[in-house]
Amino acid sequence: MPDGVGIELAEQFSSARQQKETGELGMWVFLLTELMLFSTLFVSALILRMLHPGAVTAAALHLKMWIGGLNTAVLITSSFFMSLAIELSRAGRTSPMRLCMVVTAGLGVLFLCLKGYEYYRDYAEHMTPFFAWRPYGLLGDPASRLFVDLYYVITSLHAVHLTIGIGLVMTMQHLARAPGFLSRHANRIAITGLYWHFIDLIWIIVYPTLYVLNR
Amino acid sequence: MSELVLRDAPPPVATIGRPETYLNDGQTIRSWLFTTDHKRIGVLYLISITFFFIIGAIAAGLIRLALVVPDGSILTNDIYNKLFTLHGVIMVWFFLVPSIPNVLGNFLLPIMIGAKDVAFPRLNLLSWYIFMGAAVFELFVLIAGGVDTGWTFYTPLSTIYSNSWVIPAVLGVIVVGFSSILTGVNFITTVHTMRAPGMTWFRMPLFVWSMYATSLILVLATPVLTMAMVLLFYERAFGIGVFDPGAGGDPVMFQHLFWFYSHPVVYVMVLPGMGVMSELVTAFAYKRVFGYTFIAYSSMAIAAIGFFVWGHHMFFNGISEYSGMSFSLLSFAVAVPSAIKVYNWAATIHKGEIRLATPMLYAMGWIALFVVGGITGLFLASLGIDAHVHDTYFVVAHFHYIMVGATVLAFLGGIHYWWPKITGKMYPEFWGRVSALFMFVGFNMTFAPQFVLGYLGMPRRYHTYPPQFQFLNILSSAGATVLAAAYLFPLAYLLWSIRYGRDAPPNPWDARGLEWTIPSPPPPHNFEEVPVVDFEPYDYPNRIPEA
Amino acid sequence: MSGRSVLSMLLKPALVWIALMALLGAISAIGALVPRGHWWVAELACAGAMVAIVVLFSMEMWRHAPIVRLFSVLGFFWVAILFGLTMVDYATRSIAPQ
Repeated sequence: MPDGVGIELAEQFSSARQQKETGELGMWVFLLTELMLFSTLFVSALILRMLHPGAVTAAALHLKMWIGGLNTAVLITSSFFMSLAIELSRAGRTSPMRLCMVVTAGLGVLFLCLKGYEYYRDYAEHMTPFFAWRPYGLLGDPASRLFVDLYYVITSLHAVHLTIGIGLVMTMQHLARAPGFLSRHANRIAITGLYWHFIDLIWIIVYPTLYVLNR
Repeated sequence: MSELVLRDAPPPVATIGRPETYLNDGQTIRSWLFTTDHKRIGVLYLISITFFFIIGAIAAGLIRLALVVPDGSILTNDIYNKLFTLHGVIMVWFFLVPSIPNVLGNFLLPIMIGAKDVAFPRLNLLSWYIFMGAAVFELFVLIAGGVDTGWTFYTPLSTIYSNSWVIPAVLGVIVVGFSSILTGVNFITTVHTMRAPGMTWFRMPLFVWSMYATSLILVLATPVLTMAMVLLFYERAFGIGVFDPGAGGDPVMFQHLFWFYSHPVVYVMVLPGMGVMSELVTAFAYKRVFGYTFIAYSSMAIAAIGFFVWGHHMFFNGISEYSGMSFSLLSFAVAVPSAIKVYNWAATIHKGEIRLATPMLYAMGWIALFVVGGITGLFLASLGIDAHVHDTYFVVAHFHYIMVGATVLAFLGGIHYWWPKITGKMYPEFWGRVSALFMFVGFNMTFAPQFVLGYLGMPRRYHTYPPQFQFLNILSSAGATVLAAAYLFPLAYLLWSIRYGRDAPPNPWDARGLEWTIPSPPPPHNFEEVPVVDFEPYDYPNRIPEA
Repeated sequence: MSGRSVLSMLLKPALVWIALMALLGAISAIGALVPRGHWWVAELACAGAMVAIVVLFSMEMWRHAPIVRLFSVLGFFWVAILFGLTMVDYATRSIAPQ
């Protein structure tokens, strides 16, 4: 490791390598639980598609695929900057690393704005079946309402995770302001990055599952 | 005057010569509530789950009381339904799941592998706070409002027909799941990265293996329950229709998701018990464990195969027949590793220097009850027999033999075995044996009649029954009284021993394992220096006893 | 300080970005142009490739200790159990054995 990059040993560990591996493994095991969490929703979506193929296809055509696709590109780009930030953290270069993390979080915010705009368009098209007071715009099978509801459940859960991710990345870059941060907590950037890439990964599954495969 | 004198001269605290232990390392409430010491967190869990066990047991007692008469005149239907839901929810999520992992696991796992603490000590404390928050909230919901769906929250009863407090109850279950997940993540990482030098995988005590398998299940299964409960919440709050056939959903899907968690979680309850068993049997047969690798691998096999069998809870709830057949076949497979363990313990006891101390009595009781519970599980896994006995008291008796018989006996056996280590005090041996005996008798008297009742056709969860079933029901309720008394014994004499028991030596049982090499109670950081493990597990001398 | 230039640090993330964008383009193009037929297999393959790229390269699976690698695979295996055994039920509901 280059100068100025290192790990401050916590009480319960006996070596820096042990501490680094523990952090990484802990994050991966946690991401495992997140993967199972989202998979439960994906399996629900698949079951719905199997039980009501016609209604699901009809409803899916009303989703704004171009916003979904654009958002995927935004997240892929944010992951690019996160990867760069991790590389920079390993070289001990704090300032460009922090800049990359701010760009990462900024792209996350852009994603949320686009998502918000998409929700607004859906609302305008009366695609809000969970509001009892607002008439539902798409005609046909009741399963169409269910698909649109599921779309909101999945995308909003992802948005919650993304918001947590934005908070995490911004907190980390803020903490990294302190002199010598990378010499004490170099591994934290990579662990934050794991979480960010994972949120990206989930969206990469959500996009085809909801928008593309059902067309 | 005398008051003034006392204030002026506080008596000096006798600290000289007193070894520093985790118990006297700070004695304020604050030092307990903000501790990151895994041993103190284990003790916090012990106190909390004992409280919730008592609540759940009182509910069970009231249920048995109501079933003494066939016409249901003691409790109203509504209160009866709310009581068995309270009993199920509290016992499953707030006692059985956290019982052995969070109490004995927290206390022992780091010591057994020679670590100073778990991998993420603060996360460990957070897990306790989440647990307590969820538990207190859930208890309030179940007592103030009540829920009448049973602990399974089956749709569409829970989404459409029930008028009780389903939404807050579901939220409590979601939150307590995070506590399980944090514990699971912590234990998995601890076992992987915190082992002392020389502590290879196959030198780990079998208790650690079983905790590792348990944590894997917690981590992989709990999120699915969380999401199923979130969907249930959305369904009831906003009517999204995902479990409503009228809206294009499928109520059976809830059962798939629910049992994807809840069947593996049965192994979360029993695997730690198996881990405790391996420790007790070797220590009190004073013999090397028979087939160490088989027991270790069978823990992993149970954890893995446990995920393939959830459909046997749903044979007659609308799943396809092919699906039922495959789940039935896979369910038979999971009996194999469980049987391997039982045979191995029997072989370990064979020709050992057996000491029938209290923990060993619990262990013997455990084997008997687990075999009965396990064999009846095979009955239920067969499609034909299940057609006759599903949703009857046969099922109730079966899973109580596993969950109460196996888990609670292992928990109590483990508490007795490690009590000297946890508190530094010995419990009164005579009363220990008496309570173990009473528990075994009381348990069988409570649940054995229920096998008969179920086979004769008494459905579960009903408040009234035909009068010809009354004799067996009274027998069962009488057994429950014996069982309740047997639970009160340990509660009383263990508390008594904290103050009046004699001091425990570091290794009162002459047992093997790292936890017995350190003082009782252990010092704050477990080991004076990091231990180097150069011995095999359970290295008992294997002497042949004389005639 | 490290001898690595920013340019060499850029290389891997940039390659990953190009690959992911290309696959995203392919998936979206198929989705937009061919809403019928068996093209879903190609879409699924593209999505699978994207997931693999993120796990292998962005999340640096190859840099981690073997045990971490095992856990990253384990998750997907358990997802397969959840999907597989649930689908056994839904796929055979309309067929009754004789």
